[in-house]
Amino acid sequence: MAGRTGRALVALVLVASAGPSGVMPWVRPAQAQSRAAEGWRKEFDEVCGKTQDAMTLPTAELRALVERCDKLAPVVQGLGEPERKVYAKRLEGCRNLYAFVLESRQER
Amino acid sequence: MRGLLPLVLVFAVGIPGAARSEQTSGKKRRPLPPEYGRVILDKQSAKAGVAPVAFDHWLHRAKYTCRLCHVDIGFAMAANGTGVRAADNAAGVYCGACHNGRRVEGGRKVFESCNRGAPGDQKATCTRCHSVGKSVVPEVDFVAFTRAFPKGRFGNGVDWEGAESLGLIKPVDFLEGISVPRKSMAAQKDFALTPRQKGMPEIIFSHEKHTVWNGCELCHPEIFGAVKKGQVKYTMGEIFDGKYCGVCHVSVAFPMQDCQRCHARPVQ
Repeated sequence: MAGRTGRALVALVLVASAGPSGVMPWVRPAQAQSRAAEGWRKEFDEVCGKTQDAMTLPTAELRALVERCDKLAPVVQGLGEPERKVYAKRLEGCRNLYAFVLESRQER
Repeated sequence: MRGLLPLVLVFAVGIPGAARSEQTSGKKRRPLPPEYGRVILDKQSAKAGVAPVAFDHWLHRAKYTCRLCHVDIGFAMAANGTGVRAADNAAGVYCGACHNGRRVEGGRKVFESCNRGAPGDQKATCTRCHSVGKSVVPEVDFVAFTRAFPKGRFGNGVDWEGAESLGLIKPVDFLEGISVPRKSMAAQKDFALTPRQKGMPEIIFSHEKHTVWNGCELCHPEIFGAVKKGQVKYTMGEIFDGKYCGVCHVSVAFPMQDCQRCHARPVQ
């Protein structure tokens, strides 16, 4: 009885510590990392997915895209090699294109 | 006899002088059609004790757009500018984005580059790429591959644009897991550039043709950074030196000798 109660208590404590995510504490860091990894790649695809439309995007949107690129840059720099090298260059390319279009509009 | 002396002196000095002039004139041998677009990569190879890589653009450009490799995969526009390492390829980036032994192209698995086998291992495929100085027979023969393509005057001797318009090549622009999903680009207008040399036909630049293969970010702002028309005066000297148009049209795209391809609008 004590053994059964003890086991039930342990199970209760574990479930409680999992929290709303339902993930056990020792799993959480890895899963959080995975979510963060998915997050940066989703943001990267969104910001760099508009380069084809750069010439037709409103100026405000271009500025916002440049800002988003600048916010994403440190996240990309924190990736392991060789992803850091590849995606840093790609992000720089997107950002520079948007900045180039903005600058060309200012010159007109 | 005295009259012959100057002639003897000319022969004694003139011919070696001419030979010196040729040696110092900086004339390079024009590459053969299969060689045009060859890039030698040797940032790490010699240090690692392997032969440098001889990368021939013609096969890849027939299958993939410039943008896919130079934007999505991230190769630099200059030889040795990327700093590719075997570990990078083995990790699935750069060459390894496709050359991973799993990706299928044309019904065949693309061979794995920089696999874990030692150079002497039968499974190793090092010399397929690290081939400078080695007699390696390419798997795909240039003549057979390009036999049906419309001919060009220079470079590879192939009219690549013509080959695409005839549907003989269909360069892929998207790689799952690598490329960013994008909408197709709106058609861009051609425009004319007035040459500095009077009497030269105007340059008709086709944005549409370039963006089909390059997108925007391959050229802007890295190669063409001017934000206003006329801000930068491009010179043929700089272009021949590999700047601006010459980033591509000296080494891979149709070469500068094909003047009429750009200087297309005659002087009125």
